[in-house]
Amino acid sequence: MGLKSELHEHIGSLRRYALVLTRDPVAADDLVQETLVKAIAKAETFQRGSDLRPWLFRILHNTHISALRREKTRADAAPDLPEPIANDCQHTQLELKQVLSALDQLPEAQRNPIILIALREMSYAEAARSLDVPLGTFMSRLGRGREALRQIVQGVGRGKLSILKRKGDSA
Amino acid sequence: MTSHHETDIALDPELMAYVDGRLEPAKIAALEARLAHDSDAREAVAKWRHFDNLLNSYGRQADELPHSLKIAALERELASKLKKQHWRAIMLGTGLRRIAAGLVLFVAGWGSHAAYTTGGNMLASASHPYFVAPTLAGHAAFKLAAYQGAEFDGDNITSALDWMSQKMQHKIESPKLERLGYRVESARLIEVDDRPVAVFYYRNAENERVTVSVTPKWTEHGNYALRVVDLDDGVMAYWSSDQLHYTVVANDNRGAITTLAAAVQQ
Repeated sequence: MGLKSELHEHIGSLRRYALVLTRDPVAADDLVQETLVKAIAKAETFQRGSDLRPWLFRILHNTHISALRREKTRADAAPDLPEPIANDCQHTQLELKQVLSALDQLPEAQRNPIILIALREMSYAEAARSLDVPLGTFMSRLGRGREALRQIVQGVGRGKLSILKRKGDSA
Repeated sequence: MTSHHETDIALDPELMAYVDGRLEPAKIAALEARLAHDSDAREAVAKWRHFDNLLNSYGRQADELPHSLKIAALERELASKLKKQHWRAIMLGTGLRRIAAGLVLFVAGWGSHAAYTTGGNMLASASHPYFVAPTLAGHAAFKLAAYQGAEFDGDNITSALDWMSQKMQHKIESPKLERLGYRVESARLIEVDDRPVAVFYYRNAENERVTVSVTPKWTEHGNYALRVVDLDDGVMAYWSSDQLHYTVVANDNRGAITTLAAAVQQ
């Protein structure tokens, strides 16, 4: 694959990652743009033959972390759950909200491995390089993060789904 | 707080690989048998996979976002920068330092005769020697059927060189552009004013073409200093060595053409 088409494919991946990180299409594109501006400035440090995708993801990841540190808080972090209505689509939306909300409660070190692997864009090794951590550390953070996410969602889910069930019964 | 068993589950690499569809096929049956008897692990795997699917679907919504002109412009700029970096890395590479040094000597040898030119349609120009025009034409059209003497595909270059050398009454070598990432696709021997000109067509992984011609010097033709010419959609260089004339045409920049010229001269 040529450089241009490879780069184009990676930018699609960056937009997906940025959307999950920011939860906002405009903020996601801003993040991708900022990433590309930094990549242009750092292009001379990129070694052709090394993996372009982890290099770009590392820049995006670091850009995002820097932005979070600057902002201190994320406006979208607070769970804003819709009124549960008993149909499949909205049930999925509710679950997604719960998962995103639970993700926000995880430390960055666990959150990003989960997102990178969920997007199915990279191997474990590539994802570890993107986050600039050893593979063993990455796997440990992924596993612990997934389990912590499950525990948080189950805690939230029991309460919300019981509401859902009660509303469904009364309908 | 997680239990000891939950911690074990979280750090189990086989469970991770299974969730992500990366477990070796030979291990899947054993793991599924284990899951059948371990309800905690089974539930964890199901939830992890479900959360992954939710996040994946959410990420895919980015594919539906409107096209961003700003991102597209930055993408082009980054591609251009990375490409330049690629050439710079080649120029600074150990093997190419020798070639670059050779180019310096080669240009210095012609001293003040070396010239740079800009212009549009060089095919119509009478200011270039006879062997340049067919190279340009061949590069533009990738064919010169009217004058074509013989054509060889990339797998038969060795026999092509033997045959061309015989026809030219001069031993010629295939320009070595592989180290620059180009692969020879075909070669042709054409005749211009009853003079044989060997033309080689190259292409790299990014679908960029380079055309190189080699022809013996004839007594009535003089020497040509290295000349680099900007074309409408690329750049060209031509020059003479002791016994041969060369032309290189590429859809690239001046920095690249001198690297290509050095590699050809080598």
